[in-house]
Amino acid sequence: MARLGRSGTKSQKRSPKRLILGVFIFAAIALVLAQSAPQIRTLFNPVRTTVGDRLGGNEGFNAWAWMTGQAKRERRIKELEAEVRNLSRYKAAAISMAERLEAYEEILNLMGEPPARGVTARVTAENDGPFAQTILANAGRAQGVEPGAVALNEGGLVGRVIQLGEYSSRILLITDFNSRVPVMGEVSGIRAILYGGRDGLGSLTDLPERDQFVEGERILTSAEGGAFPRGLIVGEVRKAGDDWRVNFSMAERDGGYVQMIPPPEIRKPMELEVEEPEIAASPAQGARQ
Amino acid sequence: MPRSTPRNKKSLWSQTGPTPRLLFGAFAIAAIGVLGLTPREFFGFSVAWPYAALWGAVGWGRVGLSVRPMILLILFGLIQDVTFHAPLGCFVILNLLAYGASAAIADMFDVMNEPLVAILSPVLLFSGAFLLLWLMASTLEDHPVRVLPLFASLLTTGLAYAVLQKIFDLGRRPGELAGQVG
Repeated sequence: MARLGRSGTKSQKRSPKRLILGVFIFAAIALVLAQSAPQIRTLFNPVRTTVGDRLGGNEGFNAWAWMTGQAKRERRIKELEAEVRNLSRYKAAAISMAERLEAYEEILNLMGEPPARGVTARVTAENDGPFAQTILANAGRAQGVEPGAVALNEGGLVGRVIQLGEYSSRILLITDFNSRVPVMGEVSGIRAILYGGRDGLGSLTDLPERDQFVEGERILTSAEGGAFPRGLIVGEVRKAGDDWRVNFSMAERDGGYVQMIPPPEIRKPMELEVEEPEIAASPAQGARQ
Repeated sequence: MPRSTPRNKKSLWSQTGPTPRLLFGAFAIAAIGVLGLTPREFFGFSVAWPYAALWGAVGWGRVGLSVRPMILLILFGLIQDVTFHAPLGCFVILNLLAYGASAAIADMFDVMNEPLVAILSPVLLFSGAFLLLWLMASTLEDHPVRVLPLFASLLTTGLAYAVLQKIFDLGRRPGELAGQVG
């Protein structure tokens, strides 16, 4: 089969298709460069959330399942399964902690944390590509997920909602290099900032110079900065050479579901209007005048 | 009158024109791409999923440049940008450059008949594409991104292409009539 070779006549003619390809590539490069401006980057957010909704939010329509009522039953089963998952997690935690907590609160005369209300969603898409490590969950604004919501699984903290659609949420994993989670050692109480390492383990920065973590202790969120609630399990700390690394708990118990709880609400202090009292002329002032 | 023997029978695929082949290839890319979005763990091992759009870029480029594959590659690129949470346009650049490079190599060498070129060309194109992807991701993310997942995806993309390359062979150059060769 003779093909047009190096000396073929085709190569001498400049094809307009080359020009078209060049224009397309140039336009794509311009698009990427334009997104270095945050204002332009945010313009594409509606497109991303809409596509996210299509990819992860909506269940496919099955006419047969709808006609036979199977779809309704399956939906109910899923709801109940989600509820059981929620309850079993809370049950185990509640039994072990409630009694102690009550006693502590009584001793300290402390106001307890309000219970977290969350939305449990299925992880419908995940990618381990070279860009941000994110997952897509099939619950969004319509289900009550809030912007910046904190995502948890059976193991512990998973990440934070960075993009919210009507029926889907994109969660930036704590394993991502760009995620920053303020954490503390459960035993040592040492504070640090956690970010995802390139080897799947967490790295710690902003550590105090003198103090050290306890090998194998649990790492919890410290709630500094107000993005995450205090006390969520992140992982376990291990010494690796001179550095402390964190094994993520969420990776060990990944059941394909995440619970998204609202981010902590930090209320601004109320500004009270202070009425300045009218100063009546005192007898002393009158005397001076 | 010569009797037709089974050896002379042409397969359905060989009789299929470029447009149905293009559509079938696009469907295969879309189907594999959508499958890749689901959690992919087998017995605790996560599987590196291939970048299916690159198959189209490399395969379709072998018969020269054409506008329809370019548009499909742009669409696939935009979808990849959204699913990978990359800045819009990154995967478009990648797909189009791979497509252009594949067409350029095919224009320079006899890709169909020279076995060494036929093997080396996709290897070179996939490696170049993944290197470019690493460079773009590292530049845009402000840190060198992990190489291992990309390398694993490069391997699966290349190995799967070796098996599936016929699906992405359009058969004829754009504008070439059936039976017209060279």
